[in-house]
Amino acid sequence: MTCFPRSLRIALGIIAVAGLIVVPMNFNRYGLFILSQWAVMTIAAMGLNLTLGYAGQVSLAQGAFVGIGAYAAAIMTSQGLPLIAALGVAIVLCFTIGWLLGYPALRVQHHYLAFVTLAFSTLAFLVFRNEDWLTKGIYGISNIPRPNILGFPTNRPLPFYYLCLGSLGIVSLAVWWLIRSPWGRAFVALRENPIRALSLGIDTRRYTLMAFAIGSALGGVAGALYAPLTQYIDPVPFHLSLSLDLLMMVIIGGAGFFFGPFVGAMIAVLLPEWLRFTQGYYLMLYAVAVILLLIYSPTGILGILDRFLAERRTKIASARRAAKSSLEAAP
Amino acid sequence: MTAVLEVSNIRKSFGGITAVDGVSFDVQEGEILGLIGPNGCGKSTLFNCILGQLTPNGGEVKVDGKVVTGLRPSELNRLGVSRTFQLLQVFPKLSVRENLILAGQEHQGSMLSRLFGPSDAGLTEAADQMIGFFKLDHLATEPAGGLSYGQQKLLDAAMAFMGGPRLVLLDEPAGGVNLTMLADLRERLAAINREKRATFVVIEHNMEFVMSLCSRVLVMAEGKVLAMGRPDQVCANPAVIEAYLGH
Repeated sequence: MTCFPRSLRIALGIIAVAGLIVVPMNFNRYGLFILSQWAVMTIAAMGLNLTLGYAGQVSLAQGAFVGIGAYAAAIMTSQGLPLIAALGVAIVLCFTIGWLLGYPALRVQHHYLAFVTLAFSTLAFLVFRNEDWLTKGIYGISNIPRPNILGFPTNRPLPFYYLCLGSLGIVSLAVWWLIRSPWGRAFVALRENPIRALSLGIDTRRYTLMAFAIGSALGGVAGALYAPLTQYIDPVPFHLSLSLDLLMMVIIGGAGFFFGPFVGAMIAVLLPEWLRFTQGYYLMLYAVAVILLLIYSPTGILGILDRFLAERRTKIASARRAAKSSLEAAP
Repeated sequence: MTAVLEVSNIRKSFGGITAVDGVSFDVQEGEILGLIGPNGCGKSTLFNCILGQLTPNGGEVKVDGKVVTGLRPSELNRLGVSRTFQLLQVFPKLSVRENLILAGQEHQGSMLSRLFGPSDAGLTEAADQMIGFFKLDHLATEPAGGLSYGQQKLLDAAMAFMGGPRLVLLDEPAGGVNLTMLADLRERLAAINREKRATFVVIEHNMEFVMSLCSRVLVMAEGKVLAMGRPDQVCANPAVIEAYLGH
């Protein structure tokens, strides 16, 4: 992205944000639901992007954290507690569990770590399904209320969409700050070369745990929005397949790119809807599209853009060098 | 003069192979000690034991008189012990400046101040000075992965100096570096040694480089200390000639 001038980047950002605010005003209930879902899934995928994309720690448990956040919100708000309190509980709970789940990552890496987190994902699902006293098991929790924000009810789809969008905005700013801070640099160091990072005084242990805890906490935030969005939750949506979906969003969008989760979630949530006109074939077409994309660009969609910009930069630089040397050659 | 580094009777074996077999030496403040020996004689393993990357089977390491055996590499680094690796270890996707900021950022403030403080940890100026010192000025914003091998090697060395270390262990700094750049590197290392009173231990196969840079040389063979002394003494030692230098 470094190639675009700053003003152009700001203009693009303003247009995108304005578009996300204005355009959905004419959307029907279903369109707003899908778009809200996109915002919620983007938050969850940003968390995973932090853990996986930046810090390089494979996790197949992000869906479980969305589930933990969703159940925390559902249980608390059905008891009449405010969503903001439930959000706080979801964040603290997921942060703590994420921190603990980080410990195996200090010993195992890559696909071994994937298995450890996969086991946790299954464990969380079993708790959601079997602990009836807490989660109402397979019957699920219904009539989850939507909150009032500063006195405004968000029962209707449009205000609730704005709540999701606003939350996405706040999370984006926080994550942007985080990855530009020395922590973000330490996360990248952890991903690229943990041994060298250690020799430069970077406490890789603490940063690994932090990467898990913060990424998981964002999963919890997404969950705390998911429950009032659907207003009914049961264990099924938080099965392992959600973790895999979130993983796919991060990879397709471009792991380690700030905007990767936005693009990835858009494709994972919206593309199946757009392909619906093909009727029975849409899931197959979707699968083929994903395979083709990853063959063409293993670093995801933003990887393509990044490559294009890097090539352009090299061309400009060499053109500049050529111009300079011809100037020097001239008397 | 005080010993910055004291190594006593370090032993490390892998299965049935004893890679380092009771090595003892010390390094005085401001000294540049060369560490030479044939491939596989245990030089890098010794480095890894000193720096906490490997846990020695026996022996003790002291830095400034304090026992540091068993400390993690990151803790040791924050005590002022820094290193480079035999193979290139820069972070290719970060820019040259970012690499240097990364190398210095953990040496100041707390975890929290690094989260809420400025994104460069206040190190841009220090990084740019280091960039200037190693003559990498025109490359500051380039991703490190795009640099030539020799330039990356310079960056690698520069990173080891960012935290203002007291003791630096350099593992083959001259490997694969062309002659012009080698002279540059030697001159830079000598300058840091003079100006900052930094103490070095250097593993190197390039004899000319070692002999001209180091004040003392330690020769290892088969995990043991074969000889130690001034470069000219070591070169004249028949056992060293037999084991390493060749006739």
